[in-house]
Amino acid sequence: MTSVFRRMAAAADAPVFALAGAGMRWAVQDLRLADGVTLVDSPRSASILLVAGELDPRLGEAAARVHDSLPHPRATVVWASGPDGLAGADAERIGHDADPVAAARAVFRDLVLGRRQSEPDLLPDMDPAPWRGVGPYGQGGSGMTGGTPYGRPMAELGPDRDGLRLDVLPTRLGPFFAPLPAGLELDLRVAGDVVVEARVTGSEVGTSEAAGRSTFVRALTQPQSIADLELSRARAHLRWAAEALRLQGLRAISLRALELARTVAPGDSAAVGRLATAVQRTGVYRWSLPNVDDRRRSLLADARLGPVSRACGRAEDERLADPAYIALGFAPIADVGDGVAAVWRARFGEASQSLDLASRAGSAVTTVTGTTESPRGRIALGDAPTARALELVPALVEGLEWGDALATIAALDLDLDELAALAGVTAA
Amino acid sequence: MSPLLDVIAAAAAVAGLLAVGALALAIGDGVAGAAVAGRPIRVLPLIAAPFARAALAARTGSTTTERPDGAGRAVAPALLAGLAALAMVLLPLAPGVALADPDTGFVVYSAAVAFVMIAVFLHGWSPNSTLPLHGAYRFGAVALSFQIPFLLAMLATALPAQSLSIVRIVEAQASLWNVVREPLGLPIYLVVGLAVGFWGPLNLPDGDDLAGGTSAEDAGLARWLWQVARLSMLVAVAALGAAAFLGGYFGPILPGPVWVAVKTGLLLAAMAAAQHLLARVRIERFVGVAWVLLVPLALLNVFVSGAFLL
Amino acid sequence: MTDLGPLAVAFSVMVAALLAVLASWLRTARNARATAPERVPFTGGRAPSVHAWSRYHARYYPMALLFLAFDMEMVFMYPWAVVFVTEGIVAMVEMGMFIAILLLGVLYAWRERAFEWT
Repeated sequence: MTSVFRRMAAAADAPVFALAGAGMRWAVQDLRLADGVTLVDSPRSASILLVAGELDPRLGEAAARVHDSLPHPRATVVWASGPDGLAGADAERIGHDADPVAAARAVFRDLVLGRRQSEPDLLPDMDPAPWRGVGPYGQGGSGMTGGTPYGRPMAELGPDRDGLRLDVLPTRLGPFFAPLPAGLELDLRVAGDVVVEARVTGSEVGTSEAAGRSTFVRALTQPQSIADLELSRARAHLRWAAEALRLQGLRAISLRALELARTVAPGDSAAVGRLATAVQRTGVYRWSLPNVDDRRRSLLADARLGPVSRACGRAEDERLADPAYIALGFAPIADVGDGVAAVWRARFGEASQSLDLASRAGSAVTTVTGTTESPRGRIALGDAPTARALELVPALVEGLEWGDALATIAALDLDLDELAALAGVTAA
Repeated sequence: MSPLLDVIAAAAAVAGLLAVGALALAIGDGVAGAAVAGRPIRVLPLIAAPFARAALAARTGSTTTERPDGAGRAVAPALLAGLAALAMVLLPLAPGVALADPDTGFVVYSAAVAFVMIAVFLHGWSPNSTLPLHGAYRFGAVALSFQIPFLLAMLATALPAQSLSIVRIVEAQASLWNVVREPLGLPIYLVVGLAVGFWGPLNLPDGDDLAGGTSAEDAGLARWLWQVARLSMLVAVAALGAAAFLGGYFGPILPGPVWVAVKTGLLLAAMAAAQHLLARVRIERFVGVAWVLLVPLALLNVFVSGAFLL
Repeated sequence: MTDLGPLAVAFSVMVAALLAVLASWLRTARNARATAPERVPFTGGRAPSVHAWSRYHARYYPMALLFLAFDMEMVFMYPWAVVFVTEGIVAMVEMGMFIAILLLGVLYAWRERAFEWT
């Protein structure tokens, strides 16, 4: 009986919580299309922890804490060739070229059938505050209001714009919070569901070598094929769409976007158009995405954030400085409306435009000018759009409702790999 | 049989109906998801998946948080499932046959729906964790907004029946279904039905922007039970919606209970499709639309359909 | 047994059944005492600096007050719905006046932006 039951459990999709290290963001995203595993948003619902690639040492403690949050029986699969950030884990280690799905399935099966031991904690079993001998949790006071149970105090009152003094809850989001790219850490102070203060406290995901160099970064120093570059741009926009759609609860269409990102070829503008129509029909532009007020719009327009700035009415594009693009008749798409919805439309429009350019570019190559237009905006040596966007994050989200704040951040397409890669280019 | 055995048999029947409906919705959700994603629809794995998930849930251990409200965490899914059962008992299965037919059936159903707020809030509040807590308070706004349009949409069906009994409400549709008599009723009911089951476009408390919201700290069977309870609530909403608006067991050729199943299945299919075809609504947008659009429309529905009865 | 009997039984049987399933799982599944790192609430991998329970700023409180007014109205509408057809136009006009006043309240709340809080 027990064994039948366990075999049934082993037949389930393995719930995997993935930690995407430097350069592994897209590889982890691809796992959403794989049969036999399900990527989950909370470690509590996972059986397998997948560490993909090299984690920045700064993320080691957070990774260990996520590991310890998984319910028993649990196991770790480390998918990396170099050193990983999860020292001490009794993990299944597979090389960078191995199939993570097969490995995760095998480990999951052994785990569920009882052939593999559940992993013990990585962090010491120690309360955040030492036992002080008073109260059931050693909090040294009388219950929740008198002391600091587990060493954690209660939130404190703060003034608010509507004149009420209620608690302001400090919240540390990330580095492995699904709606944000892995490695990004935000310290928020929320009063009710409104963000009253935001700070970016971490954005390093790994070394520039591990982060890799995209076609766009390579185009800074040597000419690149325009066909390749524009195809990469369309794919980047579609991969962004897959994440953004998921955040709005549209998991099935998100998979469709991801599938398209992997298979799309130059000239497939119509396929992107069909996806954009399907997205529009979900009502996401009408009732899901927040508005962007004038102050925020001018901040975004000035920051040279590619489609984001163009959706805010600024028709700037580094491709306009490239004679090869002028010869192709390239003109940027600008001012498509207002709000975050405009950014979405701009990205779908530009994905479509890029596929068209890619099909017409032939063997044309880019001109090296020291700057390039990446899918996220203007890049140069040591200057990444993600860095400029991160500086704007506090001003963008303060005063927004929780869901609106995350939808606004998602629209920026923060890419910590590009950030790391460009930091590396300067040093070189 | 003694009356006690009768009611115990009725409770078992309700649990069975809810289980079958929840399974159908889970499978339908999988099919709709695959269809919208443009992936192959493999029927057997889709049917097997809910069972495998259940087995895995039972095989997985529990987790807890720092100083949670343990009793609250345990009671929340049980309460939600209990409310679904409470509503399902009222369902008329054939002419004059319902497991329970109190004169105040509609009031009982309203009470069950009102208490969903308690269950969801308890579920989000009890882990003492930030993400579930936000989900809990968010559902407060959702629940206070859907309550009135829900009650008004249902109330219009009580006018022709001249009764608050669900059985009478179905009987009054012998010649004309309420979906025709009061065309605004069913759309409003379905919108708020999605909110009651926090499903699809109105999955605000357990939304993806909260990494699972009130469920973010749930593991193993506790998580599974919460999902089952929520599916059961949606089944109850669909079944009673079919009774109140689609004429319940009335229909040609086929026997009454089959019509109940067909119509309930139709509404469940609409819910499964909504999950994948409609984006999650911003909380403020929903609150505004519920009060400024749905409440007046539901009142219009009551008075206009009422005027035709005079 | 009154007509409410099956309701009470179905509700309590369902609640009891789920609690029993949960309790037996908690006893039999592998549930070692949760260690300190296992208990940390999840927000992405960092330990929270405060407890989540707090005096939460539920910013929709003006809407909640409006809800109270309408919920009272529903209490009147239940019996009204039953006698609507027999009472006829009188019932319609009387409830119509009552509702119209309440709807003015909704309009006022809308104008005062009670349904949005950011």
